[in-house]
Amino acid sequence: MHTSTRPRSTWVPVLIALTLALGLVTAQAQTAVPQIEILTTTEAYDPIRYESAFIIAEDWRTLGFDVVVRPLEFSTLLERFYDEQDFDITILGWSGRVDRLDPQHFLSTLDSRQTSLGSNNPGGYSNPAYDAMFDAQAAEFDADARRAIVLEMQELVAPDAPLVILYHRDEVIAYNATQFDDMVTMAGEGLYNEWTPLVATPLTDDRVLTIGSPQEPDTLNPLDSTSVWGWKWMRMYYDKLVRLSPDIEPLPYAAASITPVDDLTIDVTLREGMTFHDGEPVTAEDVKFTFDYYIEQDFGYFRAFLSPIESVDVTGPLGVRFNLATPFAPFITVTLSQIPILPAHIWSEIPNPADLAPDQIPQIGSGPFQFDRYDRGEYKRLTVYPEHFAAGDIAIEAMEMIVYADSEGVFTGLQTGEIDMTAWRMEPGQIPLAEANDDLVVVGVPDFGYFHMTWNLRRAPFDDVAARRALTMATDRQRMVNVLLDGRGEVGSSVVAPVNAFWHNPFIERFDYDLDAARAELEAAGYTWDADGRIWAP
Amino acid sequence: MNRSFVLRRGLQAIGTLLVIVTVLFFLFRLGLPDPTAALVTEGLSPEDRAAVRERFGLDRPLFEQYVIYLGNVVQGEFGTSFYYKAPVASLVWEKFANTMVLMLTAIIIAYGLGIPLGAYLAWKRGTRSDTFGIVLGLMFRSAPMFWTGMLAVLLFGVALGWLPTSGMRTLPYEAVGFLDKIFTLDFLRHLILPSLIIALFYLGSPLLIMRNTMLEVYGEDFIEMARAKGLRERDILYRHAARNALLPVMTQLAVTIGLAAGGQVVVEVVFSWPGLGREILQAVRTSDFPLAQATFLLMAALVIGMNFLADMVYGALDPRVKLQ
Repeated sequence: MHTSTRPRSTWVPVLIALTLALGLVTAQAQTAVPQIEILTTTEAYDPIRYESAFIIAEDWRTLGFDVVVRPLEFSTLLERFYDEQDFDITILGWSGRVDRLDPQHFLSTLDSRQTSLGSNNPGGYSNPAYDAMFDAQAAEFDADARRAIVLEMQELVAPDAPLVILYHRDEVIAYNATQFDDMVTMAGEGLYNEWTPLVATPLTDDRVLTIGSPQEPDTLNPLDSTSVWGWKWMRMYYDKLVRLSPDIEPLPYAAASITPVDDLTIDVTLREGMTFHDGEPVTAEDVKFTFDYYIEQDFGYFRAFLSPIESVDVTGPLGVRFNLATPFAPFITVTLSQIPILPAHIWSEIPNPADLAPDQIPQIGSGPFQFDRYDRGEYKRLTVYPEHFAAGDIAIEAMEMIVYADSEGVFTGLQTGEIDMTAWRMEPGQIPLAEANDDLVVVGVPDFGYFHMTWNLRRAPFDDVAARRALTMATDRQRMVNVLLDGRGEVGSSVVAPVNAFWHNPFIERFDYDLDAARAELEAAGYTWDADGRIWAP
Repeated sequence: MNRSFVLRRGLQAIGTLLVIVTVLFFLFRLGLPDPTAALVTEGLSPEDRAAVRERFGLDRPLFEQYVIYLGNVVQGEFGTSFYYKAPVASLVWEKFANTMVLMLTAIIIAYGLGIPLGAYLAWKRGTRSDTFGIVLGLMFRSAPMFWTGMLAVLLFGVALGWLPTSGMRTLPYEAVGFLDKIFTLDFLRHLILPSLIIALFYLGSPLLIMRNTMLEVYGEDFIEMARAKGLRERDILYRHAARNALLPVMTQLAVTIGLAAGGQVVVEVVFSWPGLGREILQAVRTSDFPLAQATFLLMAALVIGMNFLADMVYGALDPRVKLQ
């Protein structure tokens, strides 16, 4: 056996080398474009991203590229993309969390200082001009001046095609219109936002707003929760200095006024007469304690919001001064609208808050609602806190959430009247059923999160801007929206979504689907095609 | 039944459990993705993920994690859930109780009906009611429960509105303790649909096993003898034949109760029953190793325990069985 395999194994590399040499000679100066592997989600995880990959591959093959689609289990996909950066192309998404309405986060995904392993720019786009503008906008407190920079940044990167924003998916939710009126929607948040419970008007004697959700919070510990399901619930009974209006305008909420003194100093004055749900007054000391406590506990979920803070000073019973280490324009829109005010008299006694058992977690806030009960896996309830300054305007008496096993259960609950609204998007199959039901109103809300196809700019052919531009033109995003999203969505163009109207730049290069233009772009850059239609790089 | 037999079977059971603990430990770690991967989409930086890994001991070598885990399990300590950040034991216990109420109800209905029905079919062997009974039993046994469950939700919940279709109580509900929670009319109303769906599915096993063993027993001499003595056919059926045919059904029952710990995941999902099955699903989805290990271990322990019990009870039920 040994003697027969040995000679063969020495011959194989020689043969390969000969074939390669022959190939090089025939191709003259040309090099083959490497095979392109598109990583996407499995069909079971997300059929839309999965199908999108095949639509893309089909078109690119007609341009002569050798394309394979590789669906991966979701966590593996994340690891390959973020932690290992081992990919040609990855299709993934960013969810539209409300703090991302400020353009800071999405703009940072193209910052060249975010290209290290595990950071937010795995594609590796690097543009010093862009980085400089990114720093400039982050330091600009004047909204209009900052907007001008943000719009220019979008215009600057578009022709480089650093990635393809595929589509923004609409959030489709429904509520029972025989039970409640005046529901508010918010971009990316749908109906289950922080305003709906404050403004919804009951149409019957049942003044309890019941929400159905397929998801359970990880924990209701404000020092330990790392899921939107925890924070979307907690923000109703913890107050914040700022709440973003339904139109995403920062409104002073627990703050009476917010005054930027200079780039590094912000003065906040609290409203008078606020109390925690145990009756203790809300003071400047509580605000200072909260920020100090979060920084001291080094809570990862909020770290990016808190890292610009150098110190917090108490300037009076209701006066707080924030001193920043570096100018940070999203301080008011993001930091102040996300950090809940904790009662110092309770949390100062707790040295290791992450170790609290579920029944030991304090649930005392100063928000418009107060904690009533929580049965894990079944039910949560908050009641209106009558002493809150907004209590007089709240028409409901309580809000509750029923947790179902899946979205099918949520939809059944909506049909049987067990719940008044859904917390999360409906399945495509449920939408026509909901539309046919006279009691229900279906609402579609555009998302400012997006699904993207990111190429690895360190690898050929994506290191060539002409190839990137051509491949973008050969990506039929309108077909994805029409067919895969059933028209409930929008073709993407910028990392800042169109629904985020104040920050979005609609006047940038858009790369409409056009295979001829793509071919022309490649030809102009020196690409050629052989007799089999295969593309060769210049 | 001698003592060395009990001891030997007991040791075997413990050995099996140890193997299962080991397999579960490595299976989840090798098969499921890193539990901190999902935190990336929430915007956690690499340093924060490293901190989370350190907190849950995931940064240590796999074998060291295993030894620590084994030591803890022996002491009845199952660790902290990665997702809920709370002790696993308390999380599992609450859901386990909910599941057992549902499953035991269903099993009692299934075996309570299945055993006498099976005996009856054997007695009526070859008649139209025999055929009808077998077909019905097989039909429910083959129909997937998520399908029968969804039909039941649509018919009795959405269309007719007779019965609640989700959860185990009308919320909000103030319960003082677990017993207070389950002994109410409202709870029973919530129990009807899911327990019936499971019972119908389970019905086939005792029905068919009972019928088949009854047919065997019917051929035996002591039945002839009973007939010759002039006993009523009904007495022969239920007093003499059925008792002797019960043995295989009991084995089946023991295994079924053991497996019931995991609940019927699909039924718990369809009816949003807050039980262990849903918890298992959630644990696997979020790569919550401690929770997943504890739930599966509980199921395995119950199956092994019930098998052990069935072995012991055999001798008592049938003196012909010698335990050695």
